[in-house]
Amino acid sequence: MRHDFRELKLERVTRSFAAAGGHAFNALDELTMTIRRGEFVALLGPSGCGKSTALNCIAGLLALSGGAISLDEQRIDTLPPEKRGFGMVFQNYALFPHMTVERNVGFGLRMRGMSAAEIAPRVARALSLVQLSGQAGKLPGQLSGGQQQRVAIARAIVIEPPLVLMDEPLSNLDAKLRIETRAEIRRIHGELGRATIYVTHDQDEALSLADRIVVMKDGVVQQIDSPQRIYAQPANLHVAHFMGYRNVLEFEVTAVNAERVELSGGAVRIVGTLCQPLDGRRAVVAIRPEEIVVGTRDGGANSVRGSVTGVEYGGRDSLIEVLLDGGLRLLARSDVPAERGDAITLSIPPERALVYPA
Amino acid sequence: MSAAALAGRGGPAVAVGRRGFDRALLLAIPATLFMVLLFVYPFLYGLWLSFAPAKGGALANYRTFFTTPDLWPTIGITLKLALPATLINVGIALPIAFRMRVRGRWQRVVTTLLVVPITLGTVLIAEGMLNYFGPKGWLSHTLQLLHLYDGPIRLTHNYWGVLISLVISGFPFAFLLILSYVTGIDPVLARAAATLGAGTFAQFRHIYLPLLAPGLAMCFCLAFVQAFSVFPSAVLVGAPAGPTRVISIAAYQAAFEQYDYSLASAIAMIMGFVQLVIVAAVLGLRGLFYRGPVAGGKG
Repeated sequence: MRHDFRELKLERVTRSFAAAGGHAFNALDELTMTIRRGEFVALLGPSGCGKSTALNCIAGLLALSGGAISLDEQRIDTLPPEKRGFGMVFQNYALFPHMTVERNVGFGLRMRGMSAAEIAPRVARALSLVQLSGQAGKLPGQLSGGQQQRVAIARAIVIEPPLVLMDEPLSNLDAKLRIETRAEIRRIHGELGRATIYVTHDQDEALSLADRIVVMKDGVVQQIDSPQRIYAQPANLHVAHFMGYRNVLEFEVTAVNAERVELSGGAVRIVGTLCQPLDGRRAVVAIRPEEIVVGTRDGGANSVRGSVTGVEYGGRDSLIEVLLDGGLRLLARSDVPAERGDAITLSIPPERALVYPA
Repeated sequence: MSAAALAGRGGPAVAVGRRGFDRALLLAIPATLFMVLLFVYPFLYGLWLSFAPAKGGALANYRTFFTTPDLWPTIGITLKLALPATLINVGIALPIAFRMRVRGRWQRVVTTLLVVPITLGTVLIAEGMLNYFGPKGWLSHTLQLLHLYDGPIRLTHNYWGVLISLVISGFPFAFLLILSYVTGIDPVLARAAATLGAGTFAQFRHIYLPLLAPGLAMCFCLAFVQAFSVFPSAVLVGAPAGPTRVISIAAYQAAFEQYDYSLASAIAMIMGFVQLVIVAAVLGLRGLFYRGPVAGGKG
């Protein structure tokens, strides 16, 4: 139990697996980052991107194929999980079915050789932190999914680990409970003041919880940044795609003027902002549907005309599909009602049309 | 066994059809009929036969059994073979199955190797043992060649011969059963225990063992019943006249040497009763442990 740790350092952490045909592939490829005390870091990416592999490597449940992990100055990547002492919350909770809630939460303390008198008050405090004080005597099978989840969190934090690792802890909960538990996790993180590494495929979860987000794809880190920057300035097209830039259109580059790029394709000419150096005459523009301004009159520069071909009602606004005059399709969010066949004008703010190499 | 379970529970459809007659229950008829014809009827017939001796009152056979000096000790002799054999089989199978819990190349190889004896049958095992463990067997020869032990080794035609035979033939059964219980436990539980500070032994002690306990009890019962009815090896590699005169030999001699079917039935009944007492005791102990799903939460 160390209370004084400053940072966890990952240096070129790599894990490869044998694939069919005897080849090895890197499930995690040279992850390098430093996690400081008090920080909440989310590993974000689609399934199979290596985020869980990274978490298991940190926990010690998977051996590294290369690289090093150190806690402050001490190398820990050669230690077995039971010597690292990180608290881990598993996707399916992994509560011990034959132990009561109290014994589940106290397990880590018993493994550390504490006496029953020392364990009881700590378990009680952990259970009150996750608001389960009345359930101490129950078996996991008698609890709801949300309660089991909170027991799993209590069990991981009661050992006062320097790091809490969470592997998609909310993916088995329903939508309402997920949002409630999300706030709970953030509150607990704040109260403990230690570091949390949180694996998720849900961008909303990552954006709302994390101080820093690591976006991954195919084992390779795509971007490590604050939620604000990940949301507004994706480093590349993969990140943009994953962060909800649903309009991805390929154009011909006609002019480049520092950050501003002029593009054309068919009858459409638009101006965008360069995000990554171009490597040819073709480029891709990524635009978020909610950043397109929908109107019926000509919106001036950077506006395109088309007709509505589909409407998906979404409560406060609707997602409309627009067929542009040049034959391209765009998705836009509109808070004014639209119907199929309506003529429409879409204005794209040049600073929100992000240009990447094709 | 499974037929009884089927007939008893009838599957989840019973709950649905509680108000009326559930036609799915008809599916249990063949199994029930099978049980009645092949188990219940012979059992009741034997029970009746045991109380109907050629001479003397209804209890004469039982009186004979418990007063004849070469009959009643067979209970003790059989228990002395069956209990240690079962304990050894379950006790050795458990750590090996625990080691083999991770699916891999080795699991398949070792499983195959360990399962071979089950296909051999007791007689072939006895023959092998006579060749290998006998006074002029390979083991004896090898030890003498290496000057490790010069005296004759007597591992056949005595108590040890039967015990070894029971271990060879009973071990694969216990191993396979326990392996299936071990691999049924979600490995994430052990990983969770590891992150909480539990080493391999602590994981075994606190996670696997309590979750396996009910299965181990069941495995013990099945292995014990199998060992208790030992017959061929007690004759072939034992000393059937004395130290390994097990209860099934007594029953066999009563039935086919003295042609006293009634006494043989009584011995069979006593044999069944002793097994029942042990099985009931072990299954009673099972009630002290957690029984339920062995997963860690929502899948």
